[in-house]
Formats: sequence, C-alpha cells, structure tokens
Amino acid sequence: MRCLCLIALAAPLFAVDFQREVRPILSDACFQCHGPDKASRMAGLRLDTRDGAMAKVIVPGKPLESKLYQRIMQENTALRMPPTASHKVLSDAQKATLKAWIEQGAPWKEHWAFRAPEKPAIPAGQNPIDFLVREKLKAEGLTPAPEAGRRTLARRLALDLTGLPPEPKEVEAFVADTAPDAYGKLVARYFDSPRYGEHRARYWLDAARYADTHGIHVDNYREMWPYRDWVINAFNKNLPFDRFTVEQIAGDMLPNRTLEQQIASGFHRCGISTNEAGIIVDEVEAIYAKDRVDTTATVFLGLTLGCATCHDHKFDPLSQKDFYSMAAFFRNTTQNTMDDNIPDTPPIVVVPSAADVPRWEALNRELTAIKARQAQLRAIAEPVLAASKDLKSPIEPAAEVFGWREEARFKKGEFKSLPNQKIFDADKPFSIATRIFFPEGEDSFAVASQNDPERKGMGWLIEISARVANFRMTGDDGKSVTVRAAHLEQMKPGTWNHLVVTYDGSREQAGLRLYLNGRVILLQGGGDVNTKITGSISAGTPLLLGRERQRGFEGGAVSEFLIFNRVISAEEASLVNDWPKPNPRLTYLNLRDKEYRKLSARIEALNAEARQIRKRGGVTLVMQERTDRKPVANILYRGMYDAPREEVQPDVPAVLPGMKADMPRNRLGLAKWLVDPANPLVARVAINRFWQEVFGAGIVKTAEDFGSQGTAPVNQELLDWLAVEFRESGWNVKHMLRLMVTSETYKQAAVATPEKLQRDPENRLLSRGPRFRMDGEVIRDYALSAGGMLDAKVGGESVKPYQPEGVWETVAMNGSNTKFYRRDDGQKLYRRSLYTFWKRSAPPAAMELFNAPTRENCTVRRERTNTPLQALTTMNDPQFVEASRSLAQNALQAGGGFDQQLDYVSMRVLARPFAANEREVLKRAYVDLQAHYERHLPEAKKLIHVGASMPDPSIPPAEFAAWTMLASNVLNLDEALNK
Amino acid sequence: MHPSDEAVLAETRRQFFGRGARGLGALALSSVMKGAAALPHFAPKAKRCIYLHMVGAPPQQDLLDYKPKMDDWFDKDLPASIRQGQRLTTMTSGQSRFPIAPSKFKFAQHGKSGAWVSELLPNMAKMVDDLAIIRSMNTEAINHEPAITFIQTGNMNAGKPCIGSWVSYGLGSMNQELPSFVVLNATHSNPKAPVQAISARLWSAGFLSAQYAGVALRAGGDPVLFINNPDGVDGTVRRRMLDSLSELNMFKFREMNDPETLSRISQYEMAFRMQTSVPELTDLSKETEATYNMYGDDARKPGTFANSCLMARRLAERGVRFVQIYHRGWDVHGELPEILPSQCQDVDRAAWALVQDLKQRGMLDDTLVIWGGEFGRTVYSQGKLSATSYGRDHHPRCFSLWMAGGGVKAGIVHGETDEFSYNIVRDPVHVRDFQATILHLFGIDHARFTYMYQGLDQKLTGVEPASVVKALVS
Repeated sequence: MRCLCLIALAAPLFAVDFQREVRPILSDACFQCHGPDKASRMAGLRLDTRDGAMAKVIVPGKPLESKLYQRIMQENTALRMPPTASHKVLSDAQKATLKAWIEQGAPWKEHWAFRAPEKPAIPAGQNPIDFLVREKLKAEGLTPAPEAGRRTLARRLALDLTGLPPEPKEVEAFVADTAPDAYGKLVARYFDSPRYGEHRARYWLDAARYADTHGIHVDNYREMWPYRDWVINAFNKNLPFDRFTVEQIAGDMLPNRTLEQQIASGFHRCGISTNEAGIIVDEVEAIYAKDRVDTTATVFLGLTLGCATCHDHKFDPLSQKDFYSMAAFFRNTTQNTMDDNIPDTPPIVVVPSAADVPRWEALNRELTAIKARQAQLRAIAEPVLAASKDLKSPIEPAAEVFGWREEARFKKGEFKSLPNQKIFDADKPFSIATRIFFPEGEDSFAVASQNDPERKGMGWLIEISARVANFRMTGDDGKSVTVRAAHLEQMKPGTWNHLVVTYDGSREQAGLRLYLNGRVILLQGGGDVNTKITGSISAGTPLLLGRERQRGFEGGAVSEFLIFNRVISAEEASLVNDWPKPNPRLTYLNLRDKEYRKLSARIEALNAEARQIRKRGGVTLVMQERTDRKPVANILYRGMYDAPREEVQPDVPAVLPGMKADMPRNRLGLAKWLVDPANPLVARVAINRFWQEVFGAGIVKTAEDFGSQGTAPVNQELLDWLAVEFRESGWNVKHMLRLMVTSETYKQAAVATPEKLQRDPENRLLSRGPRFRMDGEVIRDYALSAGGMLDAKVGGESVKPYQPEGVWETVAMNGSNTKFYRRDDGQKLYRRSLYTFWKRSAPPAAMELFNAPTRENCTVRRERTNTPLQALTTMNDPQFVEASRSLAQNALQAGGGFDQQLDYVSMRVLARPFAANEREVLKRAYVDLQAHYERHLPEAKKLIHVGASMPDPSIPPAEFAAWTMLASNVLNLDEALNK
Repeated sequence: MHPSDEAVLAETRRQFFGRGARGLGALALSSVMKGAAALPHFAPKAKRCIYLHMVGAPPQQDLLDYKPKMDDWFDKDLPASIRQGQRLTTMTSGQSRFPIAPSKFKFAQHGKSGAWVSELLPNMAKMVDDLAIIRSMNTEAINHEPAITFIQTGNMNAGKPCIGSWVSYGLGSMNQELPSFVVLNATHSNPKAPVQAISARLWSAGFLSAQYAGVALRAGGDPVLFINNPDGVDGTVRRRMLDSLSELNMFKFREMNDPETLSRISQYEMAFRMQTSVPELTDLSKETEATYNMYGDDARKPGTFANSCLMARRLAERGVRFVQIYHRGWDVHGELPEILPSQCQDVDRAAWALVQDLKQRGMLDDTLVIWGGEFGRTVYSQGKLSATSYGRDHHPRCFSLWMAGGGVKAGIVHGETDEFSYNIVRDPVHVRDFQATILHLFGIDHARFTYMYQGLDQKLTGVEPASVVKALVS
C-alpha cells in the first residue's frame, strides 16, 4: 500500500514518460472502445492516435478542462470512464499519471515499436551494453554486482552457448589461464562447438512449432527432421539472420534454389495438419493460413496480428484487412488440405544421405530426360494413331493371368466363389483390376478376398470402408500391410468404379498402389510404415467375390476381376479402365512404341531405386507455390470460413513501411520485406529473443507482443542499440551473442541483496547476473553429460528414449502409428533432448513437466515454474537415476577416496569443488546411505540396475548404491538445476 | 535443516498449491493474479467439480431427447425446412438422401420430474430428480477435435486453458498433498467402439501457469508420473537424500539470496508428501462392499469408468478441486444399435453411483457433476438405414447433457428441440453459456474472470457474449 501512495504522490513531480506510463493506461483502459477497431468505436472518439486524442477530449496543460480527465474522475458511476461494464478500473496512481501528463502538455509519441530504432550515443571506450544497463541502474539508484568467480563464469558460458556443463579440464584451464584473452578464448571455443547450433536450434524449434507428428486427430508420424538438421547447421555455420529468415519464409522461391534452401522453407510446413474424415476444406484451409500468419507475425514482427482475424485489432493499428492481406501470402500453396496421415504429405523433398547424393542427382537427371523424351514421343505419336482393332488386351506383354468377366450382384449373404489363384506371393509382383458397384452405406464391405482364417488370415482383401477402397495383405505370421485411398477419394454411392491394385513384391506398404477409375489417387497412411510382411500370403482357399469371413458386400456388385503377373503402370491402369475403348494414342505408345515402353520400364526401375535412396536418407516437408494462379485471399466476416467478403491482395500491415517496388507480391517479397532495413520490428524482435535466452527475460518481457498491450521495453535504448548493431553487423548472430556474453553485465555475480530484491525483484534491470532454472531439455542433457552418457552424434531422425508406459496409448486413436511408444535401445537412449521424438498430442512427458510447449502452435517464451512434479522427475525418472549411477560409477572408477570422488562429481555438475560444510553434509549422508545399503544389499543391486546400461560389476553394490544416491542428490541441487 | 528455516519453508510450501502463487513467490503475484485475486466474486455453490466427458458425442435421440414422432418418419427424408441448408461433414455431404432413423430404443418417464430417459440408461433414469437435463446444448463445431477443444477450453483452436485449469487458477487448491486438477482417462469395454483422439491440450493450462494444468492420474504404471521411487530406494533413503538436499540448498540460499531456492526446497518437500498421499489415494482396498455394490464390480478393475468414478469421489474427498474423466468410444457413425448399449453399460451405473455416493456423504451439495459429450448427432442415418441398424453423423445444432449437485437445480429438464431433434425451439444453451454457468456455480463471474495474455483480457468464454443460465441454478 505504501508503495502505491508513493507513486500517486510522486507522479506529478517528475516528467511523465508517455510511452512507458501513459500509453499503457490508455491502451488497456480505453482502446477497446476508443481504439483502432472502427466497428466497435464509441462516440467517434479514438485515443490511439494523436489526432484523435487531441481533437476532442484533451486540452494540453489543462487537465480540469479536459473531458478525458473529467470523465475518469466522475463521481457518478454511470458517467465515469472506463464504464463499469468494461470491468476496467483506473487506480488513483493511474489517474494521477494521466493528470500529470496533461498538465505537462500531453506530449504524444507514436508507439515506440513502429518507429525505426536508432543507436543512442555511447561514450567512447565504453561497452554499449554495460553503459546502457548502468545508466538505467544509476537512475534507479542501484549498483551492479561484482564479477562472478571464474568457475561460475565458465559454467554459465558453457550453458548459454552449448546447453551443456563445461568439461572439468576446460574449467581448470580457464581458471589457470591468466592471459587477458582467457575468457575470449573460452567464448570462441564454445562458439566453435557443434553443440552451439544444437542449443540455439532448440529455442528456434519452439518458435517454428517443430514436431514429429501432424498434431490433429490420428496424429501420425510426420517426417520433418531434415528441417531440424537445417536449423542446427544454420546456427553452427552462423548463417546471417536475414538469410536465415528469407530461406525459411521463401527458400523454395529463391532463384536457383538449393536443396538446403528448399528444406528451410519447411518452417511453414511445421504447422499442425489434419486428416479427420469430416473436415470442411474451406475451414481447414483458413485455419492453416491463420497459423502461418500468427506464426510469422509472432516470430518476426512480435505482433498479435491473429487478434485481427475476426475484427480490427482492439489495441494495435492492425486491421482485419491487414490480417487477410498477410494470409494471402500463404494461400497459394500446392499443399493438400488433408495430410492423408502419411509421413510425407506433399510437397516434399527427398534428402539423400551424403553417400547417395551423386547417384540421386544422376538418377533425377535421367528421369527428367526420360520424361522429356516420352513427352516428345507422345507429341509425334499423334499423327500415327494406331488402329486398335487387332488388340486383344489393353496391355502388353499380355500379363493377364486370370480374367473373370461376368457380373455378380450380391444380396445379403450372397457371394461368388472362384477357383483359388496361386499367383499371389509376398515376393512376387502382381496387379488386380476390378469393376465395383458401390452401394450406399458406411459399413465396411468385403469386395474380394483370398485368405485363410485358419492361418492368421494369410492372404489378401479388397475392402471399402468409410467409402474409400483399401487393399490389405496378411502374412501367415499375422503381420499385414494396407494401402488405403485418402478420404477425399471417396466413391459415390450408387456408381460403378474401376479399381486397380498393384504390388511390387517388396513386402511393404510402399510397394502397394491404388488407381481409381484410371486415375492416380491420393493414399492415406495408417499403421507402421516400416512393417514388412515376413510370412507367406499364398492362401489355398477359393477366391471370393463379395465376401471375407463373415463380412459381405450387400447391395454391391462386381463385374470384372482381372489379375496380372506384374506391376502395371499408371498409363496402363488408365488403359485397363477404359478398355475396350482406350485412348488410341496411349494405346499406341504403350503397346506398339518399343522405345516408349522401354522408357516406361526404365522409369519403374529408377523409381524403385529412388525409393531405396529415400529410405536411406530422409524426406522433409517443404513449401511450394502454385504457379497456376496468383496469391489472393478473402476477408472472412468475423473470421468465418463460410462468410468470405472482399478479396484482398497479398500485402504487409499498413502501419509498417510498405513493400518496395522490387519486392514481388508473394512469399518471396514478404521475406525480403521482413529483412529490409526499413522494417522497424524484425531486428528488435529477434535480438530480444536472443537476449531472453541469455538473460532469462527479454528487454521486452512479452517477447511475443511488441504491441500496445505488450510490456514496454525495460531499456529501450539498449534494445534499439542492439537491433541496429545486429543489422549493421550483417545480421551476425554469433557477433551479437559474443557482445552479450563478454559484457560486464553478463559476467556479474548472481547474488541478490535485500535491496535489489526489493527494487529489482525479477532482475529486469540486471542489477546482478542471470540465474534461473534451466529448460527441461537442458536439465536432461546436463545429467546425461555429467554422467558421461551423452551421445555426441549431431542430427538425424528423432529418437525415443525412456518414457513411462501408457503416455501415448492413453490419448491416441486406434490405428495411429504413434499409439504405441516403442523405446529405442543403445546409444539412442542418450541423444540430446532436441532429438527426442515429439508427438504433439502427448509431448515428451518429462519435458512437458518442465514447461515445454506442445508445439501445436508457435511459442517464443516458455514459462518457468517450480513444481513438485519436476522434483519427482529429476529424482525418479530412470534416465536421471541411470545418469546418477553412471556419474557415480565414473567417480568410483576414477578412485582416490571419498573426497576426490566427491570432487569428481561436483566438478562435473557444478564446475567447482564442494566447500567444507557441504562436504560434511554429504559425508554424513553417504555414511547413512552406505550403512543402509549394506543392510539391504538386494535393494542396492536393484538401484544400480535401473536403466538399460549395465553397471560395473566390480564395484561393491552398497558403496555403488550410496554413491548413486549421492550423485542424484548433487544433480537435484538448486544450483545444478539453475544456470 | 535449521529450525529457523522451517517457518520460511512452511510459508513457501503453502504457496505451491495455494491460491495462485506460481512458485516465483510473491513477486510475480501482482502481474499474474489480476482478475483472480478477488475470487470468488460471490458466494459459491460448488466447491469442486467432477466432469464426465463422453468423447465422440453420445446420440441425444437415443438417450435423453425422446422423439416419439420419428417412428412415423422411418426412412423418410429429412425435410429441407428442417435442415435449412445447414453444412454437413464431408462424411455425409455426399449422401444422396438423408433418411430419418428413429431411435430403436424404448423410453419411459421417470421420477417426480417425469423426464423421459432411454432404456439404455436405467440407473441414470432412477436419479432424474437429482439432475438438470439440458436438451438444448449447441455449438458451432462440427468435428471432434475442434468441438471437444471448444467445450473444454472455450476456443476451437488449440492453446487455451481448459475449464479445470481456469477453475484451479481462479480458486486455487483445497489441499496440500495433491494437485488441484486431476484427469482420469477411462477405458471402454467394447473393442468395436469408435474411438476419437484426446490429447494433452484438453487438460493443458494454455497460457496460464503450468501448475494449473491437469495432472493425469494413470491407471497403469506410476499413478502420477515419476511418483514412485526407483527400485532400491525406499522412503527412508528418499528422506535421507532430501534432508541433505535441503541442507545444501539452504547453504546456497544464504549465499545467493534467491527466493526461488526456498521455493525449490518446498517443492521437493511437497513431492515427498505426494509420494505418501498418492498411494493412499489410489489404494481402493479399504472401500466397503456396499460401495462396490453401488459402483459395480467394474470398479475393482483399474482404469474402467466405474473405477475412475470411485477414484473421482476419493479425489473430491481429499480436496481436489476439479476432476475430469474422459470415456471414449461414442462416435457412432455406423452400427449404432450394436455399439451404444455397451458404451452406456460402461457408464450408466457408475455415474449413478457417483452421484448417490456423493449425496450420502453430504458432498453433492457442493460438488458439481456433469455428464455429456461435445456435440450431438444427426436424426438421419449416416450410411445404410435398416430396421435394425443405423448410424448417426455429427450434429452441432443440439445435444443433451446433464448436470447435478453443486447448486444445480435438481429434477428439471431445460430446453427443447424440434420433433426431429435437429433445431432448438426453446431455451438454447450455447457452449459458452454452459461454461459461464459452471463458473457461476463456483462463484465466479465469467466476464470478470480474466487473464492478460497477448494483450487481451482472456476469458474462458472468449470474446463473444455468454450468459449464465439462471434457470439451471438452484
């Protein structure tokens, strides 16, 4: 209370800062009805612009004559502003501030974030960061803390630049190094470590909403890890932030784009996607575009543009039109609305392993050449339309090994039995072509089958369920693979359909294809894509039309059933469909033109080879612009997908400097605009996040919101200096981080004094060094590293370390290929946490407890809570117990007696030896624990066997167990969990 | 530990599950507690809530919304005047016709209120006089993911806090050993039941502090993640380790003066207490035969809905503010008559037992119980209609659910749909109104219960208008 009175009294004595003190009050209390949104503006009054405010309700210098002041001071609640219904109440201090501001002439400034930053003057010889921080401290009557000890510095630096504890020998070398550049050398060393890029990438992946599943509904696996590798590499090679930005927003549209740049464009393929059967396409497309606008605005502009989805922004000068103009940039993609539950929803690029790159490139060159030649052949075939009278079959060589050409209609319980066909074998290619009458119904229908229920259902089945066709092959080991048409490939009830199934003998799902009515169709994923049939599929039972076990095809019909002994091509599938009246030109090319046929066969072979290369490497989702139209969008009335209004062209928010003439009106133009020097936000927003990573909070605390309702910068001169320096340095990230970590401000001790706790409780002013709880990933990596278990491999696909049972099953859909968590083994258990498989509907359990986001949408600031569930994790999670045991084992193997062993542990966790009083506490604990485990040897053995790795059998179990607990104790110290 | 530090610890200890303190100690309170500080706004009727969510959407026509006239409409087309060009999901929008499927289940009137209830819910039927049945619920969402996210978080898109988190944030905890918001994911018995996805977002705290997120109480493995000590570590070892840990942390606190360190010490102590209280909570062996007779034998099987209901009662007894039970398998697009009975059997008796159990313990008055799904289902059949079989697609325009206890008016039926159970003709209750009403029962004015995020005073009910349904409040 005393505090409040002081402010109320003190306010008029000092010059009121409009930006920091007045504008936030107006924004929060008034803009809702007197702000940018014209639709909800009352009394024609706006207070978010100078003209609006000064026109009617403010008389500069005269608060008592100013209507604004009169209304906020009204006794009569019916007339008082803000009105009761707004649930906003102005405090006395706020009223006093407004009064003082008007008295002082009501000086007005445009919102700071929309003005271009300028470098404040720095006295010669001064470190700009330190100078600007200390100016602020001086103003608040605070003094900086002394420099932290060398060990503390080494640990802090290692954590900030690599996310890992420092190696003890690095620490000792640094402590012993008296050269003036000792610290600088350590900084350079950490910048050069590949760990640097991993650590920076982890933060970025929150912003990019990176994950390994699609996110909605079935939440199947998505193959996206090459994008993650790209981010790691980009930081490691210090890719300038402007290029980092451009390549992620529009890498696919750059002239002479490289594979790397295409991979980078995956930034906007990281969003969640759906394959829920009932979706309405327009609605989902609007959602995808909104996710991209929200993410772009948050990550690069620090604006809550998403607030203008349904109406003009209530607080910032962002109109609904601005929102949809931005959406237009993203509404011109070739991406399908439904992800089909497959890992590689197009558009994608294949990322071959390094060894495969030359062959991959050659193969693609050859494919391109073949396709060009085939196109030529198609063109010249035109005049020589061959007569097809003499043709007996739509394809040659005549591959048909079985043909049934009658019609069978099925009433309830009816089916048609044909002789057993021996052609089917899991190792041999085959194709099936059949005409099907699809009746009405949501049931699942058995169209045709040849399987043996006595032998785990070995054989195959053509089925229609939820109106889409699927084909399943089952081995006599019960394992099966299924290919299923996408939801949007539904058959219409009451129609005849032609279905072709082809199989290449590879025993896997990827070897199966479907064609509907002569067309290549989209397929949907399901089950584990890596499943291989290991047994036989050669059932000896009859081939049944309209039946499988107890299921039938009531109301349906089959009028043709053909089997071929090879994979037929897409063109052949269309010929079979059209038979007996196939397209003459295609018929000629496929049946009579030897060269064309040879090339077709070659394409098949190359495709098969490509599939193998793809398997050895990876696939990643990328952006691809439609070329058949220009990007546009419609304003959606109240954000509703089914209420499109005015069409808008792609454009950037009107309040910001506009796009220049040389910037195309598409994503590439947007990317260029973002990093244009005229943009007042991007450098500030980006540098603020790097600052947040190092100092725990941004200079603008609301890293996601630089608008009117965000927190004002605690030190705008500092933010602006950094932003301009960032740009002028060529967007050099390492340069900026080096400036931060070599400042005196950074190097301060983190000790708080009662005075500082009172006047700078959250350390926003940096009156002391940064000290805060590390993110969950860092805590885990830290334990693994201290325990000597961390696998050093950089990059690659995601891994599945320990996770409690049931975390996935409890939430997953049946049929999701991320329903069952299959833990990895060996080194994959000990990779850095940024490689842990991220299922969005059930994120890694231990990390979630430490405030990791779900990655369903963009997050640029994590919360930092302190809960008992976190304590339980670091005490009991097997990966922490195993790391403790490993640390204990290494200490014991290093030998030298209790004190040296304790040093071994503390040097690895705290980068310092314990003090005498600490040693005493731990010694007492050790004696008790050791005695306990001597008495309970079986318990000791259990403890040291937690985890997949084996303990050193030569260490006596009681001693080993007691040391394990001691190591766990040290890893759980507040000091260990904090930076 | 130094005795002088005990007082400090007791203080910080109180904060974790206490009202709103977010572990950062008192420092962050000013910014975070805006809105929540003055809660409740008025005298609450409900202190706690047990919300039974039937994931996938139960068909109202077959359970709580009796439409006898539909028998005459069998296999006739839904009149265009009723459908009014309403959008359909892509699952049925391609259907050539929309044949009406009357419920094949019998209904009867029950209790003093004379409410009609389906034969599939014989136990719920016995307690209609304890319930407020709402037949006029409605939403805009037409698919599960957005719909369930909407009814749980007030927004169709992911990222907002759910009701349980809002209530925990606003009112804090009533106990010192357990989280204030607990989630139970119940199993269903019929393997053919069509399952919909749920996800952590349904018990996420969104932009609220993560301490208000629902803690999943698991039926298999550790009931709370990592609650059990590792093999070979018993209570005495853990205690010994914690003693030295606290002592060392106190050294650090004296050196650094960081209030977070004190908070951390108290969190470790709280963790230790949870290690004792959770096993006691999940040990159902002392429940009486009489109790099992009520809930049924299913209650003995970990993870079943009956078991979850019994657990919910134990949680409520121990001061847990909000318990959410999810039961899946209600997405009856086809073969409804085969699937629905087993789904009802899973939940009917246990839901009845829960309400009666709370009542006999004197807890129903201040415990709100809710049973229902995320939207309704169509009167017309999805797929083939026959005398014995039909399916129902998603239908956002109306659905039914019930509430009991916690200040809800007992023995009433609220709202009415047309004879097709397609459009609401009286007293519509939008999802936002439903949410506003829940908050009201907790003594919270939904319009004033806000949290500043992204520059906006965020509310559970969002920015569109919402109103408390006074007719539901006793």
